[in-house]
Amino acid sequence: VKYMLLIYDNANTRETFLGEEGRELMAEVDAIMNELTESGELVGGEALADPSNTRTIRLVDGTPAITDGPFAEAKEHLGGYLIVDCESAERAAEIALRWPSARFSPMEVRPLMDTAGAEM
Amino acid sequence: VRATGEHVDLLRALAPQVLGVLVRRYGRFDACEDAVQEALLAAAVQWPEEGVPESPRAWLITVAARRLTDQLRSERARRRREDTAAAQAPADEAFAPAPGDEQPPEHDDTLTLLVLCCHPALSPPSQLALTLRAVAGLTTAQIASAFLVPEATMAQRISRAKQSIRAAGGGFDMPPEPERTERLRVVLHVLYLMFNEGYIASSGPDLQRAELTREAIRLTRAVHALLPEDGEVAGLLALMLLTEARRPARAHPDGTLIALAEQDRSLWNRAYVEEGTALITDALAHAPLGPYQLQAAIAAVHDEATGAEDTDWPQILALYELLARAAPNPMVTLNHAVAVAMVHGPRAGLDLLATLDGDERVATHHRLDAVRAHLLEMAGDHAAARDGYRAAARRTTSIPEQRFLEARAARLSD
Repeated sequence: VKYMLLIYDNANTRETFLGEEGRELMAEVDAIMNELTESGELVGGEALADPSNTRTIRLVDGTPAITDGPFAEAKEHLGGYLIVDCESAERAAEIALRWPSARFSPMEVRPLMDTAGAEM
Repeated sequence: VRATGEHVDLLRALAPQVLGVLVRRYGRFDACEDAVQEALLAAAVQWPEEGVPESPRAWLITVAARRLTDQLRSERARRRREDTAAAQAPADEAFAPAPGDEQPPEHDDTLTLLVLCCHPALSPPSQLALTLRAVAGLTTAQIASAFLVPEATMAQRISRAKQSIRAAGGGFDMPPEPERTERLRVVLHVLYLMFNEGYIASSGPDLQRAELTREAIRLTRAVHALLPEDGEVAGLLALMLLTEARRPARAHPDGTLIALAEQDRSLWNRAYVEEGTALITDALAHAPLGPYQLQAAIAAVHDEATGAEDTDWPQILALYELLARAAPNPMVTLNHAVAVAMVHGPRAGLDLLATLDGDERVATHHRLDAVRAHLLEMAGDHAAARDGYRAAARRTTSIPEQRFLEARAARLSD
């Protein structure tokens, strides 16, 4: 089953990861990525740019309105994601728990929808 | 360049034979498997252009053996660089085709390979992936596409599976009893998973997955031919055929699922129904009873009914009672509850479902909500049924199932 691990950052996460302490954290990230590649569980993943780069688009009465900045101000924002294909929800949760960001902000583990299905 | 259907069939049939010859001659299952895969790819490119060689089997063996030689030589060279005490190199003549490569095999290695690929050191998804490559002869790209993962991910999974078998000391022999029976049970389970992975795929974008169904039937046929007396092998093959028979009727052209009771039965594949029914009838008469035979018998009762209303539910109920004893699990209970409802009324079915509420394997599963909603609808409690379908629709992670369940709920909202 494929799961998306949603990585949330807060205002200080990037600083932490780019600072002195960050070297060890990034080494942990590399180790987990290697492990997931080796085990054949890694499907993909990306990091998102800082939320200040966001443009929010809306249709107001059918007219496009584009504003700079995220759609909702929040203490935590989506910082990136991983997609893993693993045997169980428990295994996906275990990966999320070890992801270094989980020490600073919560992570979410959500199954992906499948295009296949069985009749009932 | 794409190999034609004819070439693909020939290559897939030859894949386990060629791999068997190589592993017998040179050992090293992992290296031989890589070499055979490369030979299959070479054939898929060359044969459509240059024609099929006179002896395709010998051609594949020669090409694969050459690849194996190259691979082992470069491994030796690497080791020599790493360690001046070079390993003894076997003479190159050892890799020349042996007499007899042109002859048909004296014994079929398919079963031995299946048992090796379904090694207990591997997880079921790894067993499945390796079986598709080493026994069914699919390419890594095809397997990756069937499971909707990147090719590199699938390549890594297969390579790791082979390393695990090597580390576990898996040899190319049929294990002795009683392990042999246990290993065969795993093989049947992997073939069953392969079939299901293909069968649940909807029409349209998932054609690669539908190929898994075809391969599962082909391999199960091969195992049945080797073990004709085994009732569970016959039962599994019958179950696949009786299920596959309904494929043309199971969904609308847009992929929307159609419930069994509402399918146009004139679309069912009668040849598969007849073959499956004959197989299961014979197995039930001659072999000890088992779960695959019971499931096939249930499928046969459904398939022989000319309309949903002609279904022999008392017989299906009796079969579920046997299945619940032979292989109790919550998914069996769900279907058993439907049969109880059809014979003794929806309330009796709901009572049986209630026994699953505390079962953590299924308590939050969308199928429990869906079956309960179906029985509530039968009982005339439309408001509760609608809520149940909606709950099931939220819980499922399948797009076609979600669409089906939402449609059920909407039908009750009028």
